Amino acid sequence: MIRVCAVGEIPEGEAVRVEHGPDGVPVAVFHVEGEYYAIDDTCTHQDASLADGYVEDCAVECPLHASCFDLRTGQPSGPPARVPVRTHAVVIENGHVYVQLRSAHLPVA
Amino acid sequence: MTSVSLPPSLVATLPGNIYADPAVFAREQELIFERMWFAAARSSELDKPGAFVTKQVGRENVIILRGRDQQVRAFLNVCRHRGARLCNAEEGQLRRNIQCMYHAWTYGLDGKLVAAPNLTKMQDIDRTEYGLINVHLREWLGYVWVCLADEPPPFETDVIASADERLGGEGVIGGWQVDDLAVGRRITYDVKANWKLIIENFMECYHCATIHPELTEMLPEFAGGYAAQAFVGHGAEFRDDAQAFTIDGTGGHERIPGVDEDHDRRYYAITVRPQVFINLVPDHVIFHRMYPMAVDRTVVECDWLYLPGVVESGADLSRSVELFDRVNRQDFEACEVTQPGMSSRAYRAGGVLVPSEHHIAEFHEWVQARLAE
Repeated sequence: MIRVCAVGEIPEGEAVRVEHGPDGVPVAVFHVEGEYYAIDDTCTHQDASLADGYVEDCAVECPLHASCFDLRTGQPSGPPARVPVRTHAVVIENGHVYVQLRSAHLPVA
Repeated sequence: MTSVSLPPSLVATLPGNIYADPAVFAREQELIFERMWFAAARSSELDKPGAFVTKQVGRENVIILRGRDQQVRAFLNVCRHRGARLCNAEEGQLRRNIQCMYHAWTYGLDGKLVAAPNLTKMQDIDRTEYGLINVHLREWLGYVWVCLADEPPPFETDVIASADERLGGEGVIGGWQVDDLAVGRRITYDVKANWKLIIENFMECYHCATIHPELTEMLPEFAGGYAAQAFVGHGAEFRDDAQAFTIDGTGGHERIPGVDEDHDRRYYAITVRPQVFINLVPDHVIFHRMYPMAVDRTVVECDWLYLPGVVESGADLSRSVELFDRVNRQDFEACEVTQPGMSSRAYRAGGVLVPSEHHIAEFHEWVQARLAE
Protein backbone atom coordinates (compact mmCIF):
# COMPACT_ATOMS: atom_id res chain seq x y z
CA MET A 1 0.00 0.00 0.00
CA ILE A 2 1.15 3.51 -0.81
CA ARG A 3 0.15 6.38 1.48
CA VAL A 4 -1.36 9.25 -0.50
CA CYS A 5 -2.23 11.91 2.05
CA ALA A 6 -4.31 12.60 5.14
CA VAL A 7 -8.08 12.47 4.78
CA GLY A 8 -9.27 15.99 3.99
CA GLU A 9 -6.13 17.08 2.14
CA ILE A 10 -7.76 16.63 -1.26
CA PRO A 11 -10.53 19.22 -1.71
CA GLU A 12 -13.87 17.94 -2.94
CA GLY A 13 -13.89 17.58 -6.72
CA GLU A 14 -10.11 17.56 -6.99
CA ALA A 15 -7.31 15.07 -7.27
CA VAL A 16 -3.66 14.49 -6.44
CA ARG A 17 -1.08 12.76 -8.54
CA VAL A 18 1.02 10.10 -6.84
CA GLU A 19 4.25 10.02 -8.80
CA HIS A 20 5.10 6.44 -7.86
CA GLY A 21 2.01 4.27 -7.43
CA PRO A 22 2.01 0.77 -6.01
CA ASP A 23 3.71 -0.63 -9.11
CA GLY A 24 5.72 2.46 -9.90
CA VAL A 25 3.20 3.89 -12.34
CA PRO A 26 1.76 7.36 -11.54
CA VAL A 27 -1.71 7.19 -9.99
CA ALA A 28 -4.37 9.88 -9.60
CA VAL A 29 -6.53 9.87 -6.47
CA PHE A 30 -9.83 11.75 -6.67
CA HIS A 31 -12.14 12.98 -3.93
CA VAL A 32 -15.70 13.10 -5.26
CA GLU A 33 -18.81 13.47 -3.15
CA GLY A 34 -17.13 12.08 -0.05
CA GLU A 35 -15.67 9.04 -1.84
CA TYR A 36 -12.09 8.43 -2.96
CA TYR A 37 -11.21 6.89 -6.32
CA ALA A 38 -7.82 5.93 -7.74
CA ILE A 39 -6.95 5.41 -11.40
CA ASP A 40 -3.77 5.43 -13.46
CA ASP A 41 -2.88 9.08 -13.85
CA THR A 42 -1.74 9.01 -17.45
CA CYS A 43 -4.35 9.31 -20.20
CA THR A 44 -4.27 6.31 -22.52
CA HIS A 45 -4.48 8.58 -25.57
CA GLN A 46 -1.53 10.94 -25.02
CA ASP A 47 0.75 11.62 -22.07
CA ALA A 48 -1.32 13.94 -19.88
CA SER A 49 -2.02 13.91 -16.15
CA LEU A 50 -5.66 13.07 -15.41
CA ALA A 51 -5.17 14.57 -11.94
CA ASP A 52 -5.13 17.92 -13.81
CA GLY A 53 -8.42 17.06 -15.51
CA TYR A 54 -11.90 18.32 -14.87
CA VAL A 55 -14.09 16.23 -12.59
CA GLU A 56 -17.82 15.95 -13.18
CA ASP A 57 -20.38 13.21 -12.44
CA CYS A 58 -17.80 10.74 -11.14
CA ALA A 59 -15.73 11.01 -14.31
CA VAL A 60 -12.59 12.92 -15.16
CA GLU A 61 -12.12 14.76 -18.41
CA CYS A 62 -8.55 14.72 -19.69
CA PRO A 63 -7.25 18.30 -19.83
CA LEU A 64 -5.67 17.77 -23.23
CA HIS A 65 -8.22 16.20 -25.54
CA ALA A 66 -11.34 15.90 -23.39
CA SER A 67 -11.64 12.11 -23.25
CA CYS A 68 -13.70 11.27 -20.16
CA PHE A 69 -12.84 8.33 -17.90
CA ASP A 70 -15.30 6.85 -15.39
CA LEU A 71 -13.58 7.00 -12.00
CA ARG A 72 -15.30 3.75 -10.91
CA THR A 73 -14.51 1.63 -13.97
CA GLY A 74 -11.72 3.44 -15.79
CA GLN A 75 -13.71 3.19 -19.03
CA PRO A 76 -13.42 6.06 -21.53
CA SER A 77 -16.74 7.56 -22.63
CA GLY A 78 -15.55 8.23 -26.15
CA PRO A 79 -12.65 9.14 -28.44
CA PRO A 80 -9.93 10.05 -28.76
CA ALA A 81 -9.07 7.60 -25.90
CA ARG A 82 -10.13 3.99 -26.60
CA VAL A 83 -8.24 2.05 -23.93
CA PRO A 84 -9.47 2.22 -20.31
CA VAL A 85 -7.21 3.31 -17.46
CA ARG A 86 -6.69 0.87 -14.60
CA THR A 87 -8.57 1.51 -11.39
CA HIS A 88 -7.01 0.89 -7.99
CA ALA A 89 -8.35 0.19 -4.53
CA VAL A 90 -8.42 3.06 -2.04
CA VAL A 91 -8.08 2.22 1.64
CA ILE A 92 -8.82 4.71 4.41
CA GLU A 93 -7.00 3.83 7.64
CA ASN A 94 -6.45 5.95 10.76
CA GLY A 95 -7.30 9.15 8.93
CA HIS A 96 -5.00 8.48 5.99
CA VAL A 97 -5.70 7.66 2.37
CA TYR A 98 -3.81 4.71 0.85
CA VAL A 99 -3.87 3.24 -2.61
CA GLN A 100 -3.40 -0.44 -3.34
CA LEU A 101 -3.15 -2.52 -6.51
CA ARG A 102 -6.17 -4.66 -7.19
CA SER A 103 -5.49 -8.37 -7.24
CA ALA A 104 -6.63 -8.39 -10.85
CA HIS A 105 -3.63 -6.22 -11.71
CA LEU A 106 -1.12 -8.63 -10.20
CA PRO A 107 1.47 -9.64 -11.00
CA VAL A 108 2.99 -6.60 -12.59
CA ALA A 109 5.95 -6.70 -14.84
CA MET B 1 9.93 75.04 -43.62
CA THR B 2 9.44 78.69 -42.71
CA SER B 3 7.35 79.36 -39.67
CA VAL B 4 4.56 81.80 -40.29
CA SER B 5 3.23 83.96 -37.50
CA LEU B 6 -0.50 83.47 -37.08
CA PRO B 7 -3.11 86.10 -36.32
CA PRO B 8 -4.30 85.84 -32.69
CA SER B 9 -7.55 84.16 -33.75
CA LEU B 10 -5.66 81.15 -35.05
CA VAL B 11 -3.57 78.46 -33.43
CA ALA B 12 -1.62 75.89 -35.46
CA THR B 13 -2.65 72.23 -35.54
CA LEU B 14 -0.22 69.34 -35.68
CA PRO B 15 1.46 68.79 -39.07
CA GLY B 16 -0.30 66.41 -41.43
CA ASN B 17 2.20 63.57 -41.14
CA ILE B 18 1.31 63.09 -37.46
CA TYR B 19 -2.04 61.77 -38.75
CA ALA B 20 -0.75 59.85 -41.74
CA ASP B 21 2.69 58.41 -41.05
CA PRO B 22 2.65 54.74 -39.98
CA ALA B 23 5.88 55.31 -38.05
CA VAL B 24 4.18 57.96 -35.93
CA PHE B 25 1.27 55.60 -35.36
CA ALA B 26 3.66 52.85 -34.23
CA ARG B 27 5.13 55.25 -31.66
CA GLU B 28 1.65 56.17 -30.48
CA GLN B 29 0.82 52.48 -30.04
CA GLU B 30 3.92 52.02 -27.94
CA LEU B 31 3.97 55.26 -25.97
CA ILE B 32 0.25 55.95 -25.59
CA PHE B 33 -1.97 52.89 -26.05
CA GLU B 34 0.43 50.38 -24.48
CA ARG B 35 1.25 52.67 -21.55
CA MET B 36 -2.14 54.07 -20.52
CA TRP B 37 -5.36 52.58 -19.20
CA PHE B 38 -7.53 51.37 -22.09
CA ALA B 39 -11.28 50.66 -21.76
CA ALA B 40 -11.50 47.32 -23.53
CA ALA B 41 -14.84 45.64 -22.73
CA ARG B 42 -18.13 45.99 -20.85
CA SER B 43 -17.95 43.82 -17.72
CA SER B 44 -21.48 42.52 -18.32
CA GLU B 45 -20.39 41.00 -21.65
CA LEU B 46 -18.43 38.51 -19.57
CA ASP B 47 -21.61 37.15 -18.08
CA LYS B 48 -20.39 33.80 -16.78
CA PRO B 49 -17.21 31.82 -16.10
CA GLY B 50 -15.40 31.10 -19.34
CA ALA B 51 -16.97 34.01 -21.27
CA PHE B 52 -14.24 35.86 -23.13
CA VAL B 53 -13.56 38.65 -25.59
CA THR B 54 -10.34 39.41 -27.47
CA LYS B 55 -9.33 43.01 -28.15
CA GLN B 56 -6.57 44.83 -29.96
CA VAL B 57 -4.77 47.08 -27.46
CA GLY B 58 -1.82 48.89 -28.96
CA ARG B 59 0.08 46.28 -30.95
CA GLU B 60 -1.07 43.46 -28.71
CA ASN B 61 -4.08 41.16 -28.78
CA VAL B 62 -5.53 40.67 -25.30
CA ILE B 63 -7.89 37.98 -23.96
CA ILE B 64 -10.30 39.24 -21.32
CA LEU B 65 -12.30 36.55 -19.53
CA ARG B 66 -14.27 35.74 -16.43
CA GLY B 67 -12.78 33.02 -14.24
CA ARG B 68 -14.49 30.32 -12.21
CA ASP B 69 -14.08 32.55 -9.16
CA GLN B 70 -16.07 35.27 -11.06
CA GLN B 71 -12.95 37.46 -11.29
CA VAL B 72 -12.29 39.17 -14.62
CA ARG B 73 -8.73 38.67 -15.86
CA ALA B 74 -6.74 39.72 -18.89
CA PHE B 75 -3.84 37.97 -20.61
CA LEU B 76 -1.75 38.44 -23.71
CA ASN B 77 -3.31 36.18 -26.35
CA VAL B 78 -0.09 34.27 -27.05
CA CYS B 79 0.89 30.70 -26.24
CA ARG B 80 4.06 30.55 -24.14
CA HIS B 81 5.27 27.50 -26.08
CA ARG B 82 5.65 28.51 -29.71
CA GLY B 83 3.70 31.75 -29.79
CA ALA B 84 0.46 30.74 -31.49
CA ARG B 85 -2.56 32.99 -30.93
CA LEU B 86 -4.75 31.16 -28.43
CA CYS B 87 -8.25 32.59 -28.89
CA ASN B 88 -9.00 33.41 -32.48
CA ALA B 89 -12.61 34.52 -32.06
CA GLU B 90 -13.56 38.06 -31.04
CA GLU B 91 -15.82 36.66 -28.35
CA GLY B 92 -17.04 33.32 -27.13
CA GLN B 93 -17.41 30.86 -24.32
CA LEU B 94 -14.50 28.74 -23.19
CA ARG B 95 -15.48 25.31 -21.99
CA ARG B 96 -12.96 24.47 -19.30
CA ASN B 97 -9.64 25.95 -20.28
CA ILE B 98 -7.79 27.88 -22.92
CA GLN B 99 -6.12 25.38 -25.21
CA CYS B 100 -3.65 26.15 -27.95
CA MET B 101 -4.75 24.56 -31.23
CA TYR B 102 -1.14 23.83 -32.21
CA HIS B 103 0.35 21.57 -29.50
CA ALA B 104 -2.50 21.60 -26.96
CA TRP B 105 -0.72 23.57 -24.29
CA THR B 106 -3.64 24.15 -21.96
CA TYR B 107 -4.12 27.05 -19.57
CA GLY B 108 -6.65 27.46 -16.77
CA LEU B 109 -8.97 30.46 -16.71
CA ASP B 110 -6.54 31.87 -14.12
CA GLY B 111 -3.77 31.72 -16.73
CA LYS B 112 -1.82 28.89 -15.11
CA LEU B 113 -0.43 26.17 -17.36
CA VAL B 114 -2.70 23.21 -16.57
CA ALA B 115 -1.55 20.58 -19.02
CA ALA B 116 0.55 19.92 -22.05
CA PRO B 117 1.53 16.71 -23.79
CA ASN B 118 4.33 15.03 -21.79
CA LEU B 119 4.28 17.81 -19.19
CA THR B 120 4.51 15.31 -16.34
CA LYS B 121 7.89 14.26 -17.71
CA MET B 122 9.12 17.86 -17.59
CA GLN B 123 8.82 18.52 -13.90
CA ASP B 124 11.20 21.47 -14.07
CA ILE B 125 8.51 23.53 -15.86
CA ASP B 126 6.88 25.88 -13.40
CA ARG B 127 3.21 26.17 -14.24
CA THR B 128 2.91 29.79 -13.17
CA GLU B 129 6.19 30.88 -14.78
CA TYR B 130 5.00 29.31 -18.05
CA GLY B 131 1.42 30.43 -17.59
CA LEU B 132 -0.18 33.20 -19.64
CA ILE B 133 1.22 36.71 -19.32
CA ASN B 134 -1.03 38.81 -17.12
CA VAL B 135 -2.28 42.23 -18.15
CA HIS B 136 -3.15 44.82 -15.46
CA LEU B 137 -6.87 45.28 -15.10
CA ARG B 138 -9.36 47.55 -13.32
CA GLU B 139 -13.14 47.73 -13.49
CA TRP B 140 -14.75 51.18 -13.45
CA LEU B 141 -18.10 52.47 -14.76
CA GLY B 142 -18.95 48.86 -15.61
CA TYR B 143 -16.05 48.61 -18.07
CA VAL B 144 -12.91 46.51 -17.99
CA TRP B 145 -9.87 48.79 -18.31
CA VAL B 146 -6.54 47.15 -19.09
CA CYS B 147 -3.02 48.51 -19.06
CA LEU B 148 -0.08 46.91 -20.86
CA ALA B 149 2.55 48.93 -19.00
CA ASP B 150 4.80 47.04 -16.60
CA GLU B 151 3.99 49.75 -14.06
CA PRO B 152 0.57 51.23 -14.86
CA PRO B 153 -0.05 54.90 -14.12
CA PRO B 154 -2.34 55.48 -11.12
CA PHE B 155 -5.90 54.80 -12.27
CA GLU B 156 -7.27 57.52 -10.02
CA THR B 157 -5.21 60.36 -11.49
CA ASP B 158 -5.06 59.07 -15.06
CA VAL B 159 -8.65 57.96 -15.60
CA ILE B 160 -11.05 58.92 -12.83
CA ALA B 161 -9.64 62.45 -12.57
CA SER B 162 -10.55 63.17 -16.24
CA ALA B 163 -14.22 62.74 -15.40
CA ASP B 164 -13.91 64.73 -12.17
CA GLU B 165 -12.14 67.61 -13.92
CA ARG B 166 -14.65 67.87 -16.76
CA LEU B 167 -17.69 67.60 -14.49
CA GLY B 168 -16.16 69.97 -11.97
CA GLY B 169 -16.20 67.77 -8.89
CA GLU B 170 -14.92 64.55 -7.43
CA GLY B 171 -17.31 61.67 -7.95
CA VAL B 172 -19.94 63.74 -9.80
CA ILE B 173 -20.09 61.05 -12.50
CA GLY B 174 -21.36 58.66 -9.81
CA GLY B 175 -24.79 60.27 -10.21
CA TRP B 176 -25.27 58.50 -13.53
CA GLN B 177 -24.68 55.09 -11.88
CA VAL B 178 -22.88 54.00 -15.03
CA ASP B 179 -21.71 50.68 -13.59
CA ASP B 180 -25.31 49.66 -12.83
CA LEU B 181 -26.70 50.53 -16.25
CA ALA B 182 -27.48 47.93 -18.90
CA VAL B 183 -26.37 47.97 -22.54
CA GLY B 184 -29.52 48.75 -24.53
CA ARG B 185 -27.75 48.95 -27.86
CA ARG B 186 -24.24 48.67 -29.23
CA ILE B 187 -23.15 49.94 -32.63
CA THR B 188 -19.63 49.42 -33.98
CA TYR B 189 -18.26 51.86 -36.53
CA ASP B 190 -15.24 51.12 -38.69
CA VAL B 191 -13.84 54.56 -39.40
CA LYS B 192 -11.19 55.16 -42.06
CA ALA B 193 -9.50 57.92 -40.13
CA ASN B 194 -6.72 58.50 -37.63
CA TRP B 195 -7.81 58.26 -33.99
CA LYS B 196 -6.72 61.83 -33.25
CA LEU B 197 -9.08 63.25 -35.86
CA ILE B 198 -11.91 61.49 -34.02
CA ILE B 199 -10.82 62.89 -30.63
CA GLU B 200 -10.45 66.40 -32.01
CA ASN B 201 -13.86 66.16 -33.64
CA PHE B 202 -15.37 65.09 -30.36
CA MET B 203 -13.72 67.99 -28.52
CA GLU B 204 -15.10 70.82 -30.63
CA CYS B 205 -18.49 72.00 -31.80
CA TYR B 206 -17.47 74.48 -34.48
CA HIS B 207 -18.79 71.86 -36.92
CA CYS B 208 -22.06 71.24 -35.08
CA ALA B 209 -24.31 73.71 -36.84
CA THR B 210 -23.00 72.50 -40.20
CA ILE B 211 -23.14 68.71 -39.91
CA HIS B 212 -25.35 68.01 -36.87
CA PRO B 213 -28.79 69.55 -37.54
CA GLU B 214 -30.54 67.19 -35.10
CA LEU B 215 -28.04 67.68 -32.28
CA THR B 216 -28.00 71.44 -32.70
CA GLU B 217 -31.78 71.50 -32.58
CA MET B 218 -31.68 69.56 -29.32
CA LEU B 219 -28.88 71.66 -27.79
CA PRO B 220 -29.35 75.20 -29.14
CA GLU B 221 -26.11 76.57 -27.65
CA PHE B 222 -24.17 74.20 -29.93
CA ALA B 223 -25.00 76.53 -32.82
CA GLY B 224 -22.51 78.95 -31.22
CA GLY B 225 -19.72 76.49 -31.88
CA TYR B 226 -18.59 76.00 -28.28
CA ALA B 227 -18.60 72.40 -27.11
CA ALA B 228 -19.51 71.34 -23.60
CA GLN B 229 -15.92 70.08 -23.50
CA ALA B 230 -14.56 73.61 -23.66
CA PHE B 231 -15.83 74.27 -20.13
CA VAL B 232 -15.66 72.75 -16.66
CA GLY B 233 -18.85 71.50 -15.07
CA HIS B 234 -20.98 72.79 -17.89
CA GLY B 235 -23.80 70.82 -19.44
CA ALA B 236 -25.48 72.04 -22.62
CA GLU B 237 -29.15 72.68 -21.93
CA PHE B 238 -31.88 70.88 -23.87
CA ARG B 239 -34.15 73.07 -25.96
CA ASP B 240 -37.21 74.21 -23.97
CA ASP B 241 -39.82 71.99 -25.59
CA ALA B 242 -37.69 68.81 -25.69
CA GLN B 243 -38.81 66.17 -23.23
CA ALA B 244 -35.77 63.97 -23.76
CA PHE B 245 -32.45 63.59 -25.59
CA THR B 246 -33.91 61.81 -28.61
CA ILE B 247 -34.16 62.35 -32.34
CA ASP B 248 -37.44 64.28 -32.00
CA GLY B 249 -37.32 65.32 -28.34
CA THR B 250 -39.96 62.77 -27.33
CA GLY B 251 -39.92 59.21 -26.00
CA GLY B 252 -37.47 59.54 -23.12
CA HIS B 253 -37.14 57.20 -20.18
CA GLU B 254 -37.13 57.38 -16.40
CA ARG B 255 -34.39 59.67 -15.14
CA ILE B 256 -31.46 57.84 -13.57
CA PRO B 257 -32.17 58.30 -9.84
CA GLY B 258 -28.68 59.61 -8.99
CA VAL B 259 -28.96 62.51 -11.50
CA ASP B 260 -29.97 65.60 -9.49
CA GLU B 261 -32.00 68.63 -10.62
CA ASP B 262 -28.88 70.62 -11.45
CA HIS B 263 -27.82 68.00 -13.99
CA ASP B 264 -31.28 67.29 -15.37
CA ARG B 265 -32.14 68.32 -18.95
CA ARG B 266 -28.47 68.80 -19.76
CA TYR B 267 -25.86 67.07 -21.89
CA TYR B 268 -22.34 66.50 -20.57
CA ALA B 269 -19.36 65.20 -22.54
CA ILE B 270 -16.10 63.81 -21.23
CA THR B 271 -12.95 62.61 -22.99
CA VAL B 272 -10.85 60.11 -21.08
CA ARG B 273 -7.53 59.94 -22.88
CA PRO B 274 -6.55 58.20 -24.93
CA GLN B 275 -9.66 56.44 -26.27
CA VAL B 276 -12.92 56.97 -24.35
CA PHE B 277 -15.74 59.47 -24.83
CA ILE B 278 -18.64 59.58 -22.42
CA ASN B 279 -21.88 61.46 -23.02
CA LEU B 280 -24.22 61.89 -20.08
CA VAL B 281 -27.91 62.80 -20.33
CA PRO B 282 -30.53 62.35 -17.59
CA ASP B 283 -31.93 59.01 -18.73
CA HIS B 284 -29.01 57.37 -20.50
CA VAL B 285 -25.28 57.32 -21.07
CA ILE B 286 -23.49 56.96 -24.40
CA PHE B 287 -20.09 55.37 -23.98
CA HIS B 288 -17.61 55.33 -26.91
CA ARG B 289 -14.41 53.33 -27.03
CA MET B 290 -11.90 53.72 -29.85
CA TYR B 291 -9.65 50.91 -30.98
CA PRO B 292 -6.92 52.40 -33.18
CA MET B 293 -6.14 49.70 -35.76
CA ALA B 294 -3.91 51.57 -38.21
CA VAL B 295 -2.75 55.11 -38.85
CA ASP B 296 -5.85 55.63 -41.01
CA ARG B 297 -8.32 53.23 -39.41
CA THR B 298 -10.10 53.29 -36.05
CA VAL B 299 -12.86 50.99 -34.84
CA VAL B 300 -15.31 52.75 -32.54
CA GLU B 301 -17.58 50.74 -30.30
CA CYS B 302 -20.49 52.74 -28.94
CA ASP B 303 -22.81 51.56 -26.15
CA TRP B 304 -26.13 53.14 -25.23
CA LEU B 305 -26.66 52.45 -21.52
CA TYR B 306 -29.99 52.67 -19.70
CA LEU B 307 -31.44 51.69 -16.35
CA PRO B 308 -31.72 47.89 -16.33
CA GLY B 309 -35.50 48.15 -15.86
CA VAL B 310 -35.79 50.22 -19.03
CA VAL B 311 -33.92 47.62 -21.10
CA GLU B 312 -35.76 44.68 -19.51
CA SER B 313 -39.15 46.28 -20.12
CA GLY B 314 -38.46 46.19 -23.86
CA ALA B 315 -39.03 49.97 -24.04
CA ASP B 316 -38.48 51.55 -27.44
CA LEU B 317 -34.89 52.82 -27.38
CA SER B 318 -34.79 53.70 -31.06
CA ARG B 319 -35.39 57.44 -30.70
CA SER B 320 -32.51 57.97 -28.29
CA VAL B 321 -30.21 55.63 -30.22
CA GLU B 322 -31.04 57.33 -33.50
CA LEU B 323 -30.02 60.78 -32.31
CA PHE B 324 -26.44 59.92 -31.41
CA ASP B 325 -26.08 57.26 -34.09
CA ARG B 326 -26.76 60.02 -36.62
CA VAL B 327 -24.29 62.31 -34.85
CA ASN B 328 -21.68 59.55 -34.94
CA ARG B 329 -22.19 58.88 -38.64
CA GLN B 330 -22.01 62.59 -39.41
CA ASP B 331 -18.82 62.95 -37.38
CA PHE B 332 -17.10 59.88 -38.76
CA GLU B 333 -17.90 60.88 -42.32
CA ALA B 334 -16.25 64.23 -41.63
CA CYS B 335 -13.20 62.47 -40.16
CA GLU B 336 -12.97 60.19 -43.20
CA VAL B 337 -13.18 63.17 -45.53
CA THR B 338 -10.35 64.78 -43.58
CA GLN B 339 -7.98 61.80 -43.51
CA PRO B 340 -6.73 62.01 -47.14
CA GLY B 341 -5.85 65.68 -46.64
CA MET B 342 -3.41 64.71 -43.91
CA SER B 343 -1.07 63.34 -46.59
CA SER B 344 -1.44 66.34 -48.87
CA ARG B 345 1.34 68.86 -49.28
CA ALA B 346 -1.34 71.46 -48.56
CA TYR B 347 -1.37 70.19 -44.99
CA ARG B 348 2.34 69.53 -44.60
CA ALA B 349 2.59 72.21 -41.92
CA GLY B 350 -0.90 71.47 -40.64
CA GLY B 351 -3.96 73.68 -40.47
CA VAL B 352 -5.39 76.09 -37.94
CA LEU B 353 -7.74 76.12 -34.97
CA VAL B 354 -10.27 78.93 -34.52
CA PRO B 355 -11.03 80.30 -31.02
CA SER B 356 -13.82 77.79 -30.30
CA GLU B 357 -11.24 75.06 -31.06
CA HIS B 358 -8.24 76.55 -29.24
CA HIS B 359 -8.60 74.07 -26.35
CA ILE B 360 -7.65 71.31 -28.82
CA ALA B 361 -4.10 72.71 -28.80
CA GLU B 362 -3.74 71.34 -25.29
CA PHE B 363 -4.51 67.85 -26.69
CA HIS B 364 -1.86 68.39 -29.37
CA GLU B 365 0.71 69.40 -26.76
CA TRP B 366 -0.16 66.31 -24.78
CA VAL B 367 0.31 64.02 -27.82
CA GLN B 368 3.64 65.64 -28.64
CA ALA B 369 4.84 65.33 -25.06
CA ARG B 370 3.98 61.61 -25.08
CA LEU B 371 5.77 61.08 -28.40
CA ALA B 372 8.81 63.05 -27.31
CA GLU B 373 9.58 60.49 -24.62
